[in-house]
Formats: sequence, C-alpha cells, structure tokens
Amino acid sequence: MPTPPPELSVIVPFFNEEGSIGPLYAAIVAAVEPLGVAFEMLFVDDGSTDRTLELATQLARQDPRVRVVRFRRNYGQTPAMAAGIEYARGATLLTMDGDLQNDPADIRLFLDKIASGYDIVVGWREKRQDHLLRRKIPSRIANWLIGKVTGVPIRDNGCSLKAYRATVMKSIPLYSEMHRFIPAMASIAGPRIAELKVRHHARQFGKSKYGLSRIYKVLLDLMVIKTVTTFMARPLLWFALLALPALLLGLVLTGYSLLAPLLQGVPPPLSIAGAGVLFTSSALILLSGGALAELVYNVGDIRDKQFSRLTLRVWKQGAGDR
Amino acid sequence: MREPEISVVIPVCERYDDVTALYLEYQTGVARVTTAYEFVFVLDGPHSDVLQALHRLVARGERITIIETTRAFGEATALTIGFEHVSGGTVMTLPAYFQIEALEIQRLVRALDGADVVVGHRWPRAGGWFESLRRRIFHGILGWVTHLHFHDLGCGARAMTRPVLAELQLYGDQHRFLPVLADRRGFRVRELDVRQSSRDACNRAYTPKDYARGFLDIFTVFFLVRFTKKPLRFFGMLGASMFGAGGLVLLYLVVQRLWNDQSLADRPALLLASLAVVFGLQLFALGLLGELIIFTHARDVKDYAVDRVIHYPAPDELRPTHSDADQLAAR
Repeated sequence: MPTPPPELSVIVPFFNEEGSIGPLYAAIVAAVEPLGVAFEMLFVDDGSTDRTLELATQLARQDPRVRVVRFRRNYGQTPAMAAGIEYARGATLLTMDGDLQNDPADIRLFLDKIASGYDIVVGWREKRQDHLLRRKIPSRIANWLIGKVTGVPIRDNGCSLKAYRATVMKSIPLYSEMHRFIPAMASIAGPRIAELKVRHHARQFGKSKYGLSRIYKVLLDLMVIKTVTTFMARPLLWFALLALPALLLGLVLTGYSLLAPLLQGVPPPLSIAGAGVLFTSSALILLSGGALAELVYNVGDIRDKQFSRLTLRVWKQGAGDR
Repeated sequence: MREPEISVVIPVCERYDDVTALYLEYQTGVARVTTAYEFVFVLDGPHSDVLQALHRLVARGERITIIETTRAFGEATALTIGFEHVSGGTVMTLPAYFQIEALEIQRLVRALDGADVVVGHRWPRAGGWFESLRRRIFHGILGWVTHLHFHDLGCGARAMTRPVLAELQLYGDQHRFLPVLADRRGFRVRELDVRQSSRDACNRAYTPKDYARGFLDIFTVFFLVRFTKKPLRFFGMLGASMFGAGGLVLLYLVVQRLWNDQSLADRPALLLASLAVVFGLQLFALGLLGELIIFTHARDVKDYAVDRVIHYPAPDELRPTHSDADQLAAR
C-alpha cells in the first residue's frame, strides 16, 4: 500500500558526506517531528564513492520516512536537486545542503512562510561562515549580477536552504548548472518569493565540494535565464531586436552606396555596398530565425500560459464562498 | 525451452560473410558461457541468400529470430530493431563478418561483472602502418572531444546488460558510438582486448566519403556529448568572439575614416569585418534557437540517470526508469 503523500519533503543531496549524513538525519528528525507535520526525507546520493550510500541505506531501513535516490555517477548539484524535486511527494519541498552548514532548526520558519502564502522561500546566510575572499566576495558580486539581470533581487542565491510550493516548483525546468538560479528560473511562473535569515555553520566534516564555477559559465547561464524567463513567449521579438541594428546599418550603407554615384559622380563604392548587403541580408535571416523560433515554441510542450496557471488567484464576483 | 540468458544480435548490413559458418562459430563461443542463448539476425534490407541460409538453420532447430527490413536503414536502426526482440538478461552484438575470435565471446561476457557495457578492442591488430595511424587519429580526436578513451569503436563485438538497451536511442551512424552514448547515460563502460579473427580482412579501402563521414560523426558526437543541454554556451561563445573581432576591426576602420581621413569605400577589410559581425550574430541566434528547443522540451531532457531508489519497507512504486525491475528480472 502506498502511503499517503506527506506534507513536507526534505530534499538533501549528498556527495561523499559520510560524516554528515547521520547527524543531519538526527537534526532533521529532531527539528521537524515536534511540528506535527507528516514529512519524508529524500536523500539524493550523487554518486558518492565513500560510505554515504551505505549509511543512507541503513537510515532508510530504520526509518520508512527516508527514501534514497541513488545516481549512477556523480552529476553535480543541479541534477541532484532536480532529481530530488522530481521524486519528492510532499506538498512543500525543502532543499538543504548535506554538509551540516544549514540548520534544520530553521525549517519551521520556512514552513510558516509557505503557509502564509509564499510560493518560494529563500534562505539568506546573513552571517556566513566561509572564506571571505574565495567565497563570500565572489558570491556577493554574483548575487548582485543575478539580481540585476533577472530582476529577482535575492541577497543569497547560493544558499541551498530553500522551500518551494511543490505545484510551482515541479513545473519549472531545471537543467545545466542552474542551482544558483532556481528562484530566477522559477520567476517565469511569477511566484511570490520571500527571504528568510538563516543560521549558517562552518563545515564540520569533509571539504567543500562545490566551488564557485567559472565566471563565463555563470554569465552565459545568466543570459540563458534572462532569455528564457523574459522572451520565451515572444521569440520573434527577441530576434527582431537582434535584427534591428543590423537592418538599420545595412540600409544606411546600401543607401549611401546607391546615392554616392548620383550625388558625387564617383563610381559605386564596392566595399560599402557589400557591407550594406551583408547586414541587410543578415537581418532578414535573423527575422526568419525568429519565425522559426515561434514555430518551435508553438509545437513545444511548455507554454507561458501554463506557468501563469501555477500561481494565479481567482476572485469571482457573485460566485459565493465555496 | 529455457528462457535465454544471452541474446546475440547480429545486424547484417553491407558487409557480411557466410552466415552458416559464422553462426556455427559464434555458437561454439557462446555455448562456452551458457547453453541458454538465442540469436537475432536483423537483415538490413533484402539479402535473399542470407535469409535462405538462416531459414535452413531455423529448420534444423536452432534458436534464431530473423528480422528483415524492406530497405537498408543502417546498422544503428538494425541494432535497435534487434534489441526490441531480445529476451536475455545479457545482450551481445556481434558483427555479421569474422572480426574477433569466437572464443573471446566468453571473456566479453564475463567482463560484465563490474561493468554495464563491455566493448571489444581488436588487439594485436593486423594491418599496415597507415591503417593504424588513421585509427589513432580518429580515436585521438574522439578522445579529446569526449574525454573518453576508446581504441576500437569499429569493433562490433559488445556485451551489455539489459537496462542499457532500454535507455539507448541509436540512429544514423551512431552504432559506432554506442559505448560513448552508454557512458553518457551513466553506465560503466569497459574496453577489453580481444584477439582479432584471422579472417578479418581489414584492408578495406577508405574512400574520401568515408573520411568525411568519420569527421561528421565526430562532430555529431561532440555536440551530443558536450552541448546537448547548453547550446548557447557553444554558439554563444563562438558567435560572441566572431562578433567582437569583427566589431573591433569595424571600429578601427571608422576611427581611421573620421580622424585619418582614410576613405572606407576602397577598403576590403570593411567587407571582411562586416562578414565577421554578421556571422557572429547568426551564430548567436542559432544558440538562442537551440536554447529555446531545449527549454520547450526540458521535461524530456534529464540531466541525470537514477541507478535505484531505496525505500523500505514497501517497494517503491515511483520509479521512472525500468532499470530496477529489469535488474531484478535478470537475476
């Protein structure tokens, strides 16, 4: 008999955390049990090579609330989170790091926020226990940049302690190292986002595994997210924006090369005419690309409309209370 | 009749030897592992001589499935069709011509203990220095592109466990890259040195078309492996650098026109720079289009492969992959 779906799923990705998994399990149980919600723990083992899987299996054997998703190999944190979100059954999904740097005692605050109507609650490590130069400053720059570009100002995108309403989060596509941007990515659905100050502990066991990835990847991913979140539903517009400067430049150059012989009596300047033709045709090809993009979007299985459905509220006049 | 433990799929494409002799030899090889085996011959397009020979074998009571397609769809398709008709827990592919010594089959199967896919590597290898150089270059580039170092992707002798089949989607010429694609799905792939058959006449003449195809294949695999989920990273970088280079030259030309009074009209560099800018723009747009395609299909595109879900006490009913059930069935 399948058990009824729990109210809360605590999702924790692990990669070689044999020292942390036991204490973390105990801490989660100690923090959530008194709240009186039905919950499950979803441990995603990201291809660990140490005893993490063995310990997780033991926990699952002792406690039916624990489920372990084992990856075939190490894939990284985004896939681990995405798998956790896919396999979780709870109405509220809570993600946290497997290295004990987040404090399960904060879970209560996250649940309260979700209960008060927010769709996504993001942790903010106000007093961060990490290396200043190597981790804190780069992450502050990254957060500022992400906030500027995506229009979702979050002080701490890198904090793994986050809570999501499952109906919203399960529909958000997550791929390609986007764990930094989950709230930004989720912004296509227009969720109500809240920030919460959380406690942050220094690492007790093992070493940090997920360093700051290379900056160009972050920038390109950011660009992708910007494109995805703002222009996905109107790709032709995006392509037209790319095409417009090329078209203007092309027309000016072509026009000049046509007019010059008439006005100044010199032979048509070949280079300028050539450049003009190039830019003009490029603009036309870009516009065709935009049309193709419309087609792709049209036959694809993700539509803007669906995202709006995830978070909307309806007030209907005269329908009465039901 | 017992359920087969080993299923052997043999795609019969352009190149094939006498199937009766081939079957008998493979049979002795497989019989050393288990007597519960089955053979699946997939005839890629009509080969009436092969079909007749196979029917004679079937009439003798051999456990053979024969599948014939109406036209040649290619080896990858033939393999895929063959995979749909196997029932063994271990599946082998073997070429339709003498390539490896049949006695090596048992080693390939035994090597599956601790791996999901085992591919043969004909070694020591007959053939001249030129052949060997050609092979080295091909696999060298492939290794550089995919970070996977295989030495003999042309070897059609492979052994794999059942779950691998369910997740592989082969098309076109991808049969050669089966180990690469399997590795990408997270399976453990091993290469095993096997003795080459003395009848493997490898002095096949390679035409320019073959070379062109080889390089196109590498290109395809490059995209499949490295950029399937992040097209904008590739196209974006390429496009942005083209755009930037062209833009800088354009800027330089304009500065010269304005301050050094050097006419733009007779400068071929203007054309070249415009070309670079335009090209960069197009590449970037291609990347965006790719990104759009990925995004709209993101639900089917998974970044990870789940080995198993561990849940006590009840067996979990929320399994999206079939691997668990199949593994259990295989035991």
